[in-house]
Amino acid sequence: MSKEWKERLHTYLPIVFLIVLVLLVGTYDPSFFSVGNFLTVTADTMTLFLMASGVTLVIMIGGIDLSIQAVASMASCILAAYLGRFGMWTIPLAVLGGAVAGLAGSLVSTRLRIPSFIATLAVSGVVLSAGYWFSDTRSINIPPDLSASYLSWAVGDTLGIPNEIWVGVVAMVVLSVLLQLTPFGRLIRGIGAQEQAVIASGINVDRIKIAAYVLSGTMAALAGVVMAARLGSGSPTLANEFLLPAIAAIIVGGTAITGGVGSVWRTFVGALIVQVVRIGMTFMGVSVFAQQIVFGVILVAAVAITLDRSKLLVVK
Amino acid sequence: MQTRKATSFSYLDQWRRWAPLAVLIALCILIGLFNPNFLSTGNFIRLLNSAAIPVVLCMGATFIILMGSIDLSVEGIVALTAVIASLLVANDITAYKLGLFAVPVAMAIGGLMGLVNGVVHVKLKTPSFMTTLGIGFAGLGIATAILGGLTVRIADPTFRYLSLGRVFGIPMAVWIALAAFLVALTIQQRTRIGAWIYAIGTDEVTARFAGIPVEKTRILVFALAGLFYGLGGVLAAAQFGQGHALIAQGRLFTTITAVVVGGTALSGGVGSVVNSIIGVFIVVVLANGMVLMGIEPYVQQGVQGLLIIAAVALALDRSRLSVVK
Repeated sequence: MSKEWKERLHTYLPIVFLIVLVLLVGTYDPSFFSVGNFLTVTADTMTLFLMASGVTLVIMIGGIDLSIQAVASMASCILAAYLGRFGMWTIPLAVLGGAVAGLAGSLVSTRLRIPSFIATLAVSGVVLSAGYWFSDTRSINIPPDLSASYLSWAVGDTLGIPNEIWVGVVAMVVLSVLLQLTPFGRLIRGIGAQEQAVIASGINVDRIKIAAYVLSGTMAALAGVVMAARLGSGSPTLANEFLLPAIAAIIVGGTAITGGVGSVWRTFVGALIVQVVRIGMTFMGVSVFAQQIVFGVILVAAVAITLDRSKLLVVK
Repeated sequence: MQTRKATSFSYLDQWRRWAPLAVLIALCILIGLFNPNFLSTGNFIRLLNSAAIPVVLCMGATFIILMGSIDLSVEGIVALTAVIASLLVANDITAYKLGLFAVPVAMAIGGLMGLVNGVVHVKLKTPSFMTTLGIGFAGLGIATAILGGLTVRIADPTFRYLSLGRVFGIPMAVWIALAAFLVALTIQQRTRIGAWIYAIGTDEVTARFAGIPVEKTRILVFALAGLFYGLGGVLAAAQFGQGHALIAQGRLFTTITAVVVGGTALSGGVGSVVNSIIGVFIVVVLANGMVLMGIEPYVQQGVQGLLIIAAVALALDRSRLSVVK
């Protein structure tokens, strides 16, 4: 197989996989094939996609962000705790909290030269504590009237399409433009492909990396806000089950953890795959509890498939 | 304290070597001044008891970190083995009454999970943090699926004696942890595997040229770590008298904090199981001290997070890292 074909296969395989999955689930349950159902499934996928979208950039530079679930939970706590007091301003405040967490993780990783998985794991401990502090260790309900006046952009319908989808699409377009059409995007790919070369060409690599982690924290916090808006409450453990599916979505979509290769739309496809697999398993009677086993295995398998082994001399 | 032969004995090296112990002593003095109860015999035994499970888990994790790898599957394996152990002894869900035979079975299953970690990581060349993240989640999933979200209660006093029984006034769990430490120390100091672990962690390429079976050693060490986690799962089940999937919550964080705070470098090759013992006590003493000072328990994870950052930043030999991912 020529290299070009291999790349093409690599690009379209996730989409083919998604279509096959949808057809499979559809044959099990024909009512799956309806516009309304597709919209619901996509809307349900958007929080997962939002969480995974920012981390995609981090994985593309060859790093990882393990703090996203703590960040999303903290954002939900900030939102639920302060919505009554600060109104609309609570939303940027919650998102800002995520950006700060991303900044902290990236500063620890780049300035102290600590591997990103341990830096973000450590920061996630601090963020988790912060979430407990903001929420006073409780789950906080968002009163319906506040939700109606400030959070309708996330949970209502516009032009017959759930607003979650609009938010997800806007995020995808913004991040894709950033990745595909700006020097920043090219540098992200460059750092992932060959960091030394980028350093040698005089680029301030750390600044690009920090930006990637800040975006990751920002998107995770946005996901937390949307999650809280949908559920009508914030809690310090709200997003606890999201780390594994988020990383699985990125890798299944075809972004390699070795860095350099990837895009945000792939993560969109990956998130849909994760969601459809989940629905399919529920149809087939696989218990919710057992689904984690499947995702763990899928994650390892997808990592093994997308890995660029020529880059790894020593695997630690 | 065991460390690799240093080529230079600069003050910094010396300081790095003794810093964890100095921190531990300083912590004890500070907390003791603040609250004299800290230095009572009762509290000392409480400290030993809460250190027991982290020590057992750290013995496995230290070897993996010494190789420059990481194991994020601690919680998954501990939860799985705790659930299995509690289902095999007299309990309120199944009819098995294996008694103490449940211990080797649970440990073997831990070892098997570790073996899967090692084989996947080495044969598929997937980085260890990703492999163990996936396998760890799978382990948690299996543990949850077996019980369907329920909690199993243990009704076997002999099994619970493994944690609660006292010999010479000290809980059995502490003696078991001591035994685990001695086994780990023997492996580290007296076996070829021990030497190979340091060689791989220091420079894997050279180790391979020197004829060390790197792949086999890696797989073996991951399996060995699984055995220790299995023992940790048994102790957790015996201590709480029940098994459920959440029994391991927070264990991963404590384990990694203890290992790196003890002075074992994440880059591999530097550190020892003795360091990890000191690391465990730093974490446990700090937690105990915070409780004595009336600080909210949820702050602990934040403090542990900061500890990880501080310890890794101090311990890392940056000259060896050209690119940090």
